Amino acid sequence: MPALRELQHGVRAALLGDEACVAALDVAGDALAPAARLGVYRHHVLTSLTAALEATFPVVVRLVDARFFRYAADRYVRAHPPAGPCLFEYGASFPEFLAAFPPCRQLVYLADVARLEWAMNVALHAADAAPLTAEAMRALAPGAVGDLALDLHPSVRLLRSPWPVDRIWRANQPGAGDDVVALDAGGACVQVWRRDDDVVMRPLTPAALALRTALAGRRRLAVAAAAALTAEPDADLPALLREAVDEGCLTA
Amino acid sequence: METTTVAGSGIGLRAPHVDEIVATRPAIGWLEVHAENYMMAGGPALRALAGLRHDYPLSLHGVGLSLGSAEGLDVAHLERLARLVDRLEPALVSEHLSWSSVDGAYLNHLLPLPYTDETLAIVSAHVTRVQDRLGRQLLVENPSGYLRFAGSAMPEAEFLATLARRTGCGLLCDVNNLHVTCANLGGDPDAYLAALPPAAVGEIHLAGHAVNDADGHEILIDDHGSPVAPAVWSLYERALERFGPAPTLIEWDTAIPPLAVLLAEAAAAGGRLDAAGRERNARAA
Repeated sequence: MPALRELQHGVRAALLGDEACVAALDVAGDALAPAARLGVYRHHVLTSLTAALEATFPVVVRLVDARFFRYAADRYVRAHPPAGPCLFEYGASFPEFLAAFPPCRQLVYLADVARLEWAMNVALHAADAAPLTAEAMRALAPGAVGDLALDLHPSVRLLRSPWPVDRIWRANQPGAGDDVVALDAGGACVQVWRRDDDVVMRPLTPAALALRTALAGRRRLAVAAAAALTAEPDADLPALLREAVDEGCLTA
Repeated sequence: METTTVAGSGIGLRAPHVDEIVATRPAIGWLEVHAENYMMAGGPALRALAGLRHDYPLSLHGVGLSLGSAEGLDVAHLERLARLVDRLEPALVSEHLSWSSVDGAYLNHLLPLPYTDETLAIVSAHVTRVQDRLGRQLLVENPSGYLRFAGSAMPEAEFLATLARRTGCGLLCDVNNLHVTCANLGGDPDAYLAALPPAAVGEIHLAGHAVNDADGHEILIDDHGSPVAPAVWSLYERALERFGPAPTLIEWDTAIPPLAVLLAEAAAAGGRLDAAGRERNARAA
């Protein structure tokens, strides 16, 4: 009988890869052989973790089809099992895995679509925070708005891709119809965040992106505004700020 | 938080039913959730549960502590559990006699342990640490078994009874798991029940299982995907005779049916609980 630590290392190896490890595990093989008994556990580990990935990356499932997704997920699970038991946190490195997965090389946009879905997953589970209202902002700094150090809502995620991933995502929602997205339609610059209880997404102009990126770095509003003007010299700053407040994506 | 005890029958709260339960507030004794599904920082799922918590007693059922990990308890995960317990103030907190984590990998299954003195020392130390951190009793559940290690020195029921005696933990007797384990590994379910200390049993689980074929041998799979089997209802009645009317949960995790089906199963358990309670009172009188 191996010590428990040794046995658990052996079970891990037998579940995720090396099926020959079963022999060393000292499994009683009454009616059914030890390998078949261990196979029951392996089946559950692989299918339940694949199901967790399917739930987080539904558009990727649709883009590559369910069968291929299960194949890719099986490879990913064996190489990158979860680090902890909260499965809503599983899959952060799946986009990078897809980017480097040779069978997906033709689908140049796939990893960025996966990054978008991961951002949506993170936004869904992010901390709650009361969005800053226009009134509250005026009360915070009457006459000195530029000195305010605002923050983005904890759910806000900013993404940039050379591919139209937002359009690809929308075209692959249930009931979206048969719209074809042209890959050369231009890249995407989007904000994903949670508004009320729903995760939503919108495209950002270069100025809006620069403003939010600066705020995410805890820069003063005046500095963030300067960044927005650098990105787009004729940007309408009050409108940009109003828009961010209306979206509920700022906090004090 | 108003309600602090669970009694009668309850159901496992699953995502597809949340909106209907929030809207209709059906008469259910209590709800149970998997702790790991609610350890996020915020968002709608957590808020919905906190709302339901005002109307229903809650049981927090952990699946990720990995009490049997030889390399030690994941302290960060225990802290997350403690924060959730503080936030939700559940009436019951439970975990499993199993392990899932090794070497930084979480294998997402309630994996089997060899029942040895070494394992008993490890699990006892972990249960004690969890109970000390949470400041409350933990219920430990018997897992479904598909394999047995040849070096296991004691029966599972004896292991659980010793664990309860050593640590003061309670037991969650999953009657379906017990049935599945005995069918798969050979064992007498009634002898198993008889070896558990009745005073320690604080909760019972019921669920459906699948009957599969593996290399020409019948194997029962604890998939929580169908109604409770007749043999499990019958074993449940014998469990109630021995343990008294312990709060009982219906679990359903795959092929999740309409809420009404779950409520009917919970009512069927409730009827048996009432009968067991009446019998016990009659005997006492």
